[in-house]
Amino acid sequence: MTSRIVAVLNQKGGVGKTTTTVNLAHALARMGRKVTVIDFDPQCHLAVALGVVSKQQSGIDEVMLGNADFAGQQIPVRDNLNLIVAGPRLQEIEQLSDSASRRGDLLRKALAQGTGDRDLVLIDCPPSSGILVANALFAAEELLVPMTSDYLALQGLSHLMGTIKKFEAALNKKYRLLIVMSRFIPTRRLSRDVLHTVKKYFPAQILATPIRETASLAECPSFGKTVFEYRPGWRSARDFEALADDFLTGRVM
Amino acid sequence: MAEQDESSMIGYDPLAWLHDSPEAENTKSTAVPESRPAPAGAGGVDEEGDASECEDIAARAVEAAQNVVEPDVPVEWDETEADLTDLALQSAPDQGQSAESSGHIALEPVQSIQTVGELHRRLLDMLDSCNKIDIDASAVSQIDTATLQLLLVLKLTAVKQQKEVSIDFPSEKFMEAADLLGLSEMLSVDRAVAGFF
Ligand SMILES: Nc1ncnc2c1ncn2[C@@H]1O[C@H](COP(=O)(O)OP(=O)(O)OP(=O)(O)O)[C@@H](O)[C@H]1O
Ligand SMILES: [Mg+2]
Repeated sequence: MTSRIVAVLNQKGGVGKTTTTVNLAHALARMGRKVTVIDFDPQCHLAVALGVVSKQQSGIDEVMLGNADFAGQQIPVRDNLNLIVAGPRLQEIEQLSDSASRRGDLLRKALAQGTGDRDLVLIDCPPSSGILVANALFAAEELLVPMTSDYLALQGLSHLMGTIKKFEAALNKKYRLLIVMSRFIPTRRLSRDVLHTVKKYFPAQILATPIRETASLAECPSFGKTVFEYRPGWRSARDFEALADDFLTGRVM
Repeated sequence: MAEQDESSMIGYDPLAWLHDSPEAENTKSTAVPESRPAPAGAGGVDEEGDASECEDIAARAVEAAQNVVEPDVPVEWDETEADLTDLALQSAPDQGQSAESSGHIALEPVQSIQTVGELHRRLLDMLDSCNKIDIDASAVSQIDTATLQLLLVLKLTAVKQQKEVSIDFPSEKFMEAADLLGLSEMLSVDRAVAGFF
C-alpha cells in the first residue's frame, strides 16, 4: 500500500509546524490511522514534544545516508503513532559540502523503498529553505502549510509559493497544498483580514478549522505531551480533533 | 486584482503576483495530474525553452549586465564577449558522446577577468564530453560580470544541446552578484532551491 506523504512546511520560524505535526498526527492516530512522523529539523523539537529526548539516537539521518531503513528507525511513541527522530547527522546533511551527499532526492529515494503499513507520513520541516526542505519537497506529494495571521506571514507565504512553484516546474508535478491557520487569534481584526486575503488566493485550500492560540498548546511541549494528553477535551484538543477530521474529509473554508 | 477593501488592515498585498500568473486559478486542493509524463531524472533543465527564447534572454542579460555599474568589477567586456560567442558556437551538439557522463567543476574563490579564460576552456571541454556539468559555487567570495556572463551562456548553450548544467550551493557573494545583475533567475540559482535545478 502507499502512504500519503505530507510535508509540513513553512520556511518562517515559529508558525506552528511542529505543534501542528504533533497534535494532528496524534489526533489522526486516535482516529485509527497509522501515522509516522519524521523529525526533519536538527533542532529535534518534534521528538521533544513527543517526550523523546535521547540525543544520540540515529533516525532519518541514517535512512537518508543509506545506512538504515525506514521501518527499522521507527519508534512507537503512541498507539498507531511512530516517530523517526532527526538523528545527530541530519545537521551534517544540511551543511555537507561534498556534493555526493548534498542531493535533493535522498529522502524521496529512502521513502520509495517502502513505508510499510503506514497510512500517513508527516514530515516536520525546519524553518529554512535549504537542502532538507528541498528533500522534503522531492519526497512529498502533499504540502501542509501552517500559517499565522499576521502581515509578515503573508510575505513569508509569498516567498514559499515562489519556491513551491519552482519545484513544481522542475519536477513536473503538482502538489496538493493545504493551509492551516495556526496560532489564530479570532478577536483580532488583523487575523480576519489576513485570513480574508489568504482565502482570496487559496480558495478551497484552507482547512476549515483554525487552530487558536492558547496557553495549553504553548505549555504542552515542555511536558513531552500532546494536547490530548495534557489537556484532554479542552479547546485546543477539540481544535485539533476537528482539524484532523477536516484533513481526512477535505473540509475547507 | 490588487483591489483592496478600504477598511482592510492590509496595505500592500505581497501575494498579488499569484493572481498574475495564468495557472493561479486552477491551484485547487486536488492533485492535478499532468498529462505530460514526469522525466525520469527529475530536476533536469526544462528542455522546452526554444533557442530563440534563449538568445533573447541572453541578449537581455548581457544588456542588463552592461548597464550595471559595479565598483570592483573590471569593465573589459569586449574580449570576453568574443569568447562567449565562441563557446556557444564551437561546442556543436554532438550526440556521439557516451551518455551518463558528468563533469564537476568548483569555482575559485576569486573569479575575475584573469581567470575567466581558463574557466572558459575547462567548461568548453566539459561541455563536449559530458551530458551534465555540476558547478560548485560555494567557495566564491568575489565574482565579476564576465564570469557570470560565461555561466549564463554555458547554461543556455547546454539547454540547446539538451544537456544539463547546475550551479550548486552558491555562496552569498555569488548570489549577491547574480542578483545585482538580475541574473539569478536566468541562471536558475536561488538560495531557496540552490543546487537542485
Ligand atoms: N496555537 C498555539 N497556541 C499557543 N502557542 C502555540 C501555538 N502554536 C504554537 N505555539 C507555540 O509557539 C512556538 C512555536 O511553535 P512551533 O514550534 O510549533 O513552530 P514551528 O513552526 O515548528 O517552529 P520552528 O520554525 O522553530 O520549527 C512554540 O513555543 C509553541 O509551543
Ligand atoms: Mg518546528
